[in-house]
Amino acid sequence: MLEALGLEYRYQHGKKIVFPEIEIKRGQRLLISGFSGCGKTTLLSLIAGALRLQSGYIKFDSANYSSMSSLLLDKHRADHIGYIFQTLNLIPFLSVSENIALGIRFSQSRKSKVADLNQEISRLVCSLGLEKDALNIPVSRLSVGQQQRVAVARALLGKPDLILADEPTSALDSDTTKKFLNEVMETFDSKKQAMIMVSHDASIAPFFDTVIDFNKQHA
Amino acid sequence: MLSLLLKSMRSRIIPTSLVTISLMASMVLLLSIERIQQGAEEGFNQSISGVDAIIGPRSSSIELVLYTVFHLGRPTNNITTKTVNDVKLRGDISWLVPIALGDSHKGFRVVATEPNYFEHIKYANGQPLVFSKGVAFAELSEAVLGSDVAEKLSYRVGSKIQITHGSVESVGSKHDDFSFVVTGILNKTGTPIDQAIFLDLKGYELLHLGWKSGKKIFNLDDINLSSLPEDALIPKTVTAAFIGLKSKLTLFNFSKNIREYPKEAISAVIPGIALSELWSIVGLVDKGFQLLSWIIIAISLIAMVTLIIASLDNRKQEMTIYRANGASPKFLAMMVLCESLVIGLTAIVGAIVLVTIVTYFATAQLNLALGISPTFKWISMGEITVFSFILLAGALSSLIPAVMVFRKNLHQTLS
Repeated sequence: MLEALGLEYRYQHGKKIVFPEIEIKRGQRLLISGFSGCGKTTLLSLIAGALRLQSGYIKFDSANYSSMSSLLLDKHRADHIGYIFQTLNLIPFLSVSENIALGIRFSQSRKSKVADLNQEISRLVCSLGLEKDALNIPVSRLSVGQQQRVAVARALLGKPDLILADEPTSALDSDTTKKFLNEVMETFDSKKQAMIMVSHDASIAPFFDTVIDFNKQHA
Repeated sequence: MLSLLLKSMRSRIIPTSLVTISLMASMVLLLSIERIQQGAEEGFNQSISGVDAIIGPRSSSIELVLYTVFHLGRPTNNITTKTVNDVKLRGDISWLVPIALGDSHKGFRVVATEPNYFEHIKYANGQPLVFSKGVAFAELSEAVLGSDVAEKLSYRVGSKIQITHGSVESVGSKHDDFSFVVTGILNKTGTPIDQAIFLDLKGYELLHLGWKSGKKIFNLDDINLSSLPEDALIPKTVTAAFIGLKSKLTLFNFSKNIREYPKEAISAVIPGIALSELWSIVGLVDKGFQLLSWIIIAISLIAMVTLIIASLDNRKQEMTIYRANGASPKFLAMMVLCESLVIGLTAIVGAIVLVTIVTYFATAQLNLALGISPTFKWISMGEITVFSFILLAGALSSLIPAVMVFRKNLHQTLS
């Protein structure tokens, strides 16, 4: 499904990172762990097409990132990738369900996978452990943990092929983290979807079938 | 998209409404200045109609128009009735209406004339004077009031009025020995006529019988009116005379002949020309105002761009999230364009409503000062141009945040 080979990234301040090779198939759940600042987020951004490739090669099904414009990459991301940002990136003046619906608003192909938007949103919200009553209140009134679930629901809506998650548990304590990951994994469709999560927390490794340790790679 | 836009605007209600209000305020200023100017010019040019020439003592034509048409200032000189009669005998003249100015009643100017004044003098585009109540004066003790005079002083047909010597009330200068009876009140014209009181020239002359050099020498009560000789009440001099010609083609010839009249230094003024000369002076002030209001528009546009850029950080975050979720540049551009349209249109509609109110009051003020009432208009071509210019500038400046979102790397703003 996704191949990333020979990725390197040089920051403006001159630091250069060489990334490990990544290959992921449908049904696969990959954890990339490593300490903060080692380039995990940069790697996700490259895979999401939010950051232009400097060197190396990413192939997502039939799409070759090197030959795509940033507009095409935006569209590709909207159609195929659900991105859970480290900073939650919810729109404060929209309600919970409006924020979740943003996930498929700009993608025809993801919209077509959702038969009944309201029903699908309540299903996701329930399985992620949020109250159904919360759907119509502004996201700004939710706790961080609840906002985290809204961001996840937005990324999962419309069954994107690839779920990218950037430190989604960093604001949660260890008990909540486990509960939260259980919930996320329940909504994961192992026949059609793949997941890449980056985290500095190695203790969540049991939830994944493949783990790449950034620190070891660099050592 | 519209509901998204409205929610987004509501979340930024304070900066958004500040921009709208400042834009609206500057448009109100620009529009009201433009409208008052247009209305004043129009009222100016409509203040007299149907008169081909005004003859009076030789002086500047502007001066003559100021006191004969607008009843402003003081006539410096008079012309003799003999001269007027000579002119009246000319073959190219269709009619002649003499007027004498100088007295007043409670601040309203008195125009002494002949009853045919109401027949020949027109206003706006040839509209005749119409009596709302009563008829023209026929006796020397009768008077006709302009509509504002009647309204402000609550006079009716049958009211008695006394005339003051000169244009200001002062003790001892009242012609208190003789009263005039109101026989008619004119319809509102929106010209200085509304603020004038019309008397018969003979009655006016009678008032001044006992006067010499602005001082009362003997009282009218001491005179037996019937004992006066027939021609005693025919005035020796008048201030000016309005003239209608049989053919407008002879106008320039007529005015040349008048200038060359050997027995007295008189001149003929063509009202249209004198009015536009007068306007060219008044218009200078107006140009200054117009420049001022363009400066204000420019400043408020700068303020608008500044406010938009200042609220950019909020805006950028929101737009970046849209983009991260796959929104196209077209969508983002539409968002900001629609927002500036909503702001611009709100400001324009608000400005039109406010200006309508402002013009209403300004019209009343103008009417008091110059006796002219501008006609009311909703919107003009020139205003549409200004509006489109403002909308365009607003739209362009609102595109700045959208462009910045697309030029910046998505990665930097999101993580």
